[in-house]
Amino acid sequence: MVVGLRVGVCLLAALSVTAFAQTDGAAGLAIPATTLAINSATPLSQRVVAYDMDAKYNAKTHSLDATETLTYHNLTGQALDTFPFHLYLNGFQPTSTWIREGKRWNSYGPDLGTWDVKSYGAEEIKSFEVVGQGDFTSQLQFIHPDDENKDDRTVVQVHLSKPIPPDGYVQFKIKFHDQFPETLARTGWNRNSILGGQWFPKVGVWWHGAWNCHQFHYDTEFFADFGVYDVKLTVPQYEVIGASGIEVGSVNNADGTKTVTYHGDDIHDFAWTASPHYLIYNDTFQGSMGPVKLRILMQPAHWGQAERHARIAKETMEHFDRWYGPYPYKTLTIVDPEPGSEAGGMEYPTFITGGTTWYMPKGVLLVEDVVEHEFGHQYWYGMVATNEFEDAWMDEGINQYTQIKIMNSIFGASTSIINMWGITAGQVDEARFGLEAVADLDPIAKNGWQYADSNSYGGITYFKTALSLLTLEGVIGEDTMRRAMHTYFMRYRFTHPTKEDFLKTIEEVSGQDLRWYFNQAIYGTQVLDYEVLKITSAPVDWYKENLSEKKGETEYVSNVWVHRKGEFVIPIDVEVKFDNGDRVREHWDGQDRWVRYAYQKKAKVESVEVDPDHKVYLDRNNFNNSRTAEPNGDPARKLANYWTCIIQFFAQFLAWWLV
Amino acid sequence: MNGKTSLVAAGAAIVRRNKRYIVWFYLLNLAFAHFGATAFSDAAHGILGHSLYADKLLHGFSLGVFLEMLVRPEFGTLPSATHPAMMFAVVFFLASLMFMPGVLLGYASDHPLPRDEFYRACGRNVWRFVRLFLFFSVIAGIVAGILFGGLNALVSAADKTSNERLPFFTQLVGTVIILVVLTVIRMWFDVAQTDAVLRDQPAVSKSIVAGFRKVRRNFGRLLGSYLVIAIVAVAVLMAGILLWYAIVPPSSVLGAFIIGQATMLLLLAMRFWQRATAVAFYVREMTEPVAEETRPIPGFASPLVS
Repeated sequence: MVVGLRVGVCLLAALSVTAFAQTDGAAGLAIPATTLAINSATPLSQRVVAYDMDAKYNAKTHSLDATETLTYHNLTGQALDTFPFHLYLNGFQPTSTWIREGKRWNSYGPDLGTWDVKSYGAEEIKSFEVVGQGDFTSQLQFIHPDDENKDDRTVVQVHLSKPIPPDGYVQFKIKFHDQFPETLARTGWNRNSILGGQWFPKVGVWWHGAWNCHQFHYDTEFFADFGVYDVKLTVPQYEVIGASGIEVGSVNNADGTKTVTYHGDDIHDFAWTASPHYLIYNDTFQGSMGPVKLRILMQPAHWGQAERHARIAKETMEHFDRWYGPYPYKTLTIVDPEPGSEAGGMEYPTFITGGTTWYMPKGVLLVEDVVEHEFGHQYWYGMVATNEFEDAWMDEGINQYTQIKIMNSIFGASTSIINMWGITAGQVDEARFGLEAVADLDPIAKNGWQYADSNSYGGITYFKTALSLLTLEGVIGEDTMRRAMHTYFMRYRFTHPTKEDFLKTIEEVSGQDLRWYFNQAIYGTQVLDYEVLKITSAPVDWYKENLSEKKGETEYVSNVWVHRKGEFVIPIDVEVKFDNGDRVREHWDGQDRWVRYAYQKKAKVESVEVDPDHKVYLDRNNFNNSRTAEPNGDPARKLANYWTCIIQFFAQFLAWWLV
Repeated sequence: MNGKTSLVAAGAAIVRRNKRYIVWFYLLNLAFAHFGATAFSDAAHGILGHSLYADKLLHGFSLGVFLEMLVRPEFGTLPSATHPAMMFAVVFFLASLMFMPGVLLGYASDHPLPRDEFYRACGRNVWRFVRLFLFFSVIAGIVAGILFGGLNALVSAADKTSNERLPFFTQLVGTVIILVVLTVIRMWFDVAQTDAVLRDQPAVSKSIVAGFRKVRRNFGRLLGSYLVIAIVAVAVLMAGILLWYAIVPPSSVLGAFIIGQATMLLLLAMRFWQRATAVAFYVREMTEPVAEETRPIPGFASPLVS
């Protein structure tokens, strides 16, 4: 019964291809106009590519042999005779740019101190045919558009004998062999599981008048055109599979394998996973464009957290649907990857990986954090398909910003990561901490592989972007910012917007010229740091002998100095609190290096606070944003008390065992 | 001392009679820790003292704010806070090494030990205790090295399976077993130290051999006593942390200090309880007829048992 239904669905899909496909009259080529995997009667993107792949995975050797038929629709407006292809798995070779950068930066990720053969990955093209033009296998050339590394084999290029005219089609038939590494960069095997990401030859993107097909870099991610994917995966029958798109067929083969067929519409990548251990948790989210089937593949030891995954996924989807726009796909697959693998925390279209442990306490929201984050990428990468090589901040950073908004909305601003045993931490705390060490190293707007190091890449693209957008909320208002994000999403979904598209959308929606802000926050490396420099209060009659000061009666002259320590200029509020309870608000444009406010009142200044509404998230040092006239020793005493107990314990432990 | 009471009870009785040692050691422990925490305290006060942002640490514990404080350049490097702490922890260890002989002699005595006898015992035994410490370190180091090496191999093997809990529980059970083994070695050297002090034994190798024989003959009884006290110590620590969490308001510096210090005091008492148990055991051994020749114990004005 189930098989019969699937066959019927396949037939329907085939019929819809015939009915709606854009075709090339001469060669009969077409990009299918299917809508099987989306809650829409018509295609949502301008489809450039159609991938039809048949892959057989060898679980013993962690390798794969596949055929790929790629149909490309030339929508560039000019004839094309050159096509570059990504071969990402070749990044996992000792002399690749990916490995060289990893060794150079050596700040996180795999230990590349010595070469481990398990890290080897490869993507070898066995044959390359251009339909109607012949075999080009021997004419393939590796190119290195980003560096001089001639040993890098992550981009291959083919020159056709006949150019493809504007609006014409070309079809490539490729046979290739993959060797997966033990999980690196969220792809590969671990124990008896596999995560297949960036596993097939993928054509570059014609963008702004040229091919955009960068080498695989240690920190950069991906960039590809929208289209249709039909993928057959053959794996051992004992495997449980998950993949991008929707499952449209499954057949058991006589040799103990099974072939599962997936179909994806309006997506720009395809990932899959297989493991004999996965347990499947199904749920449904009712989105504004229709139901979305949640398929959660859990590790057995984490089964008790399946509902936790489903709950945060649905809450996140509800927020995105309400704030930014609808999720149009019919499925979302959430993978709880093999423990200890480097497959966790990754996004692919309609397919994300989380990451947890069997002992994850409920008060530590790392499950929620990663599921929210990776789902967010369905919008900021999946649909708004920015160039992750050149504008990493537009997916990771914008996504980090929406993550902070949504996690704070669900769990509370100060408890949106940790809320356990009286210890709290919020998303903003994480961002501020992540940015601190690299605040002035790189601007946000920079090619992903050209950051000072991985810490700077992470700190700037993720956290500085998020904090910059949060700070911008303080400038244009939270509601305006949300409208701008909604407009940006709806306008640029299923396209490849640039950084200026994003920034101009905010200016347009807010009705403000925000160049002064963007030039510093996005394009600059200025650090934002305001401080309350000094407070003084002295009696007006200070010169009189035997002056006795009486609260509420003695008149004081008070001075308050506020200092802009950093180069980043932003108007700020200053709140001065007096010891009779009075509060005075000042507004400073921040143009000078410092400002002094003077008051004559029958009260002394008790405290001064810069940014009293806590809207300037980019401020590097929050401690100096306020100053009290009198010191309060309790916070330091409390911490010193903790530290004393720790030292006592350590000393006793030492003496316990050694004496 | 009633020979029929359990070692744990006998040890508890000794500790109860000699509370002053624990108090002094606790004060040493607190004073050294206070010195060790001064650099941290000063640096924290420099950042938090005038800042309203510090409220997030006072009226709760914001981990983000705490980490933000640690990375401020004016806080200094982390080693500038941790090195004094480690240094004073080592000083406490050395003080314990120096004064423990007097404590053991006091524990074996049925009357309050005069101050001069206490210090005399410390002086006479300090070099013996250093040598015993070195022997202990070598033996415990070798045993721990072998056992932890084996455990690491086991955990690595467990990590290759798809059972995610297996490496954790292997590590947990393995660590507990290793701690028990180390407890046995500690117990052996506790008895050896007692022997060195009570028999005024200058040759520590003889005390080590004597300790080994005595422990071997009474292994189950002695180990049981040590483990019971260790379990009580863990329970004390857990109870202290729970109490701290449950009844101390986040902003109560005094409340946290009282609970924290009460826990530290009780934890310290647990180790003294073990030492008193070893002394009680040793004294019983000495008063029971044994084959080997025993030398008179100096400094005892009254019978060994009461």
